[in-house]
Amino acid sequence: MIGQLAAIAWNGFREARRNRVTIVVAIFAVVLMLATALITELTVTTFRRVVIDFGLGSMTLLLVVLAVFLSTGQLSKEIDRRTIFLLVTKPIGRGTFVVGRLLGTILTVSVLQAAMGALFFIELGLVGESVGAAQVQAVAMLTFELMILASIGTLMATFAETLTSVMVTGSVFLAGHLSSDLYLMASKAKAPAIKLAGQVAYWLIPNLSRVSFRSQATYDQVSSGETLLSAAGYALVWVAFSTCAAVIVFQRRDFK
Amino acid sequence: MTTAAIQTIGLSKTYTLGFLMNRRVKALQSLDLTVQPGQIYGVLGPNGAGKSTTLKLLLALVKPTSGRALIFGHPAGSKAGRAEVGFLPENPAPHDYLTGREFVRMCGQLRGLSGVELDREVDQALARVEMTRTAGLAIRRYSKGMVQRVSLAQSLLGKPRLLILDEPSSGLDPVGRRQFRDLVLEEKARGATVMLCTHIIPDVEAICDRVAVLVGGRLVKEGPLSELLVSEAAEVELTLEGVDAEAVRAACPAQAHLTTAAGRVLVRTSAESGTALVGAMLQRGGRLVSYTPVKHSLEQLFLSTLESERGAVGGDLT
Repeated sequence: MIGQLAAIAWNGFREARRNRVTIVVAIFAVVLMLATALITELTVTTFRRVVIDFGLGSMTLLLVVLAVFLSTGQLSKEIDRRTIFLLVTKPIGRGTFVVGRLLGTILTVSVLQAAMGALFFIELGLVGESVGAAQVQAVAMLTFELMILASIGTLMATFAETLTSVMVTGSVFLAGHLSSDLYLMASKAKAPAIKLAGQVAYWLIPNLSRVSFRSQATYDQVSSGETLLSAAGYALVWVAFSTCAAVIVFQRRDFK
Repeated sequence: MTTAAIQTIGLSKTYTLGFLMNRRVKALQSLDLTVQPGQIYGVLGPNGAGKSTTLKLLLALVKPTSGRALIFGHPAGSKAGRAEVGFLPENPAPHDYLTGREFVRMCGQLRGLSGVELDREVDQALARVEMTRTAGLAIRRYSKGMVQRVSLAQSLLGKPRLLILDEPSSGLDPVGRRQFRDLVLEEKARGATVMLCTHIIPDVEAICDRVAVLVGGRLVKEGPLSELLVSEAAEVELTLEGVDAEAVRAACPAQAHLTTAAGRVLVRTSAESGTALVGAMLQRGGRLVSYTPVKHSLEQLFLSTLESERGAVGGDLT
């Protein structure tokens, strides 16, 4: 089973590479250099904060877009083009297939994230800013945020059209950063229905701000190991939940 | 007792359609089929007859509405069942960003092959479909026939005991079609069972041992090809000697066709009148040299079956 899992995951990585997603790293490098040059001209006292915030923000945005499109697009394409007929008719569990596809997406995004992270740290060094633990934590913890999105994208791809999957997964990213705010706002509401809606939304949507450490990195606030572990655990529970749901849906569906 | 390569018991599939899921198509209705090991089994039928649905049910790509299917005694769709099968779908769409070799290799890995065995199987499969030379090219650069060949190669990996091939000759040139037929016969010689689903009747006629005809999701004819063709024969050809041609003519119905050669009388007539004619001529002291039922071609059989079933395209709609 490990060999089959590795074959599918490696195929996902190879697909992304051959479809030239590595261009995203080049885009990031160019954007980072141009932006740093511009920021140098515009800011004096908050230069470090702005550079870190911009660097992490643009890295996150590019990788989120990539994670959403890869997780929803690759599997959907295989189903739409009926390539799936050649794959799931082999002696391989459908669950193994879905997990392999997810691992392929995570592998691709992680490799690009490592490259972009390295570029970001090099850029900080070039402009004379030190790389602290807070920035390393933010880059590392971004992996978990991307894993959650990739698993939700994969879940969507098991039953929905590509466009729907992209829109839902993208919305989860946006709503996931607002879910705690929604919860707080709803808890202050007088109408019980609104309170309930806020609570339901909080539990149905992953709280991505819990696994995001970008603002701490901007202000050089180092998070404790306990906080990081708790965030990673929270993310892994969401990944496990979404993956299990994806496997169940994929096992039950017909390929017409 | 030998375990059947394929056995279906009351296998049915109904698809629900429409926004409200209120329309139903009976794609396959109560299919009972047994394919013995070592046979080349042809499945014929017009568009929407339920051929592809049958194959998808055997591979658990779709789940049956009722009934069940077994592959060498294993439930269809189980890993053990799928391990016995090499499958070529209709209009295969392998990953076009891979080279032919990479794709076949990945399929081998999914079959559980690895190391030297994987390399050997991949090389052999590519060689058998004559794709060794072009295996290093990206599939997106392949012609339709080359895609078909590479997809056929992946179905041969691991020497499966059962090959299920859906429209395998599609996109192949005449040479490719002949090579495909030879390949299927080689597989049969190896001991494999082949289920062949195609519109190309000459292919079925040339290589199949047994045939099933599906129309509108129902099995309407099934049996050994030789028997089906003979049983459909309405005419016989007989050769008589020691009797006068005029006497034969007088005993024959007007539609019968007579020729004389080397003192023999050759008659082509209906099976019913042929039997009566033989009796009459034997009484007159004649001798029966040969009596041959006239075989229909499979195409004639197929078309007459469609006509008698009012060959509807697609399953029953409700």
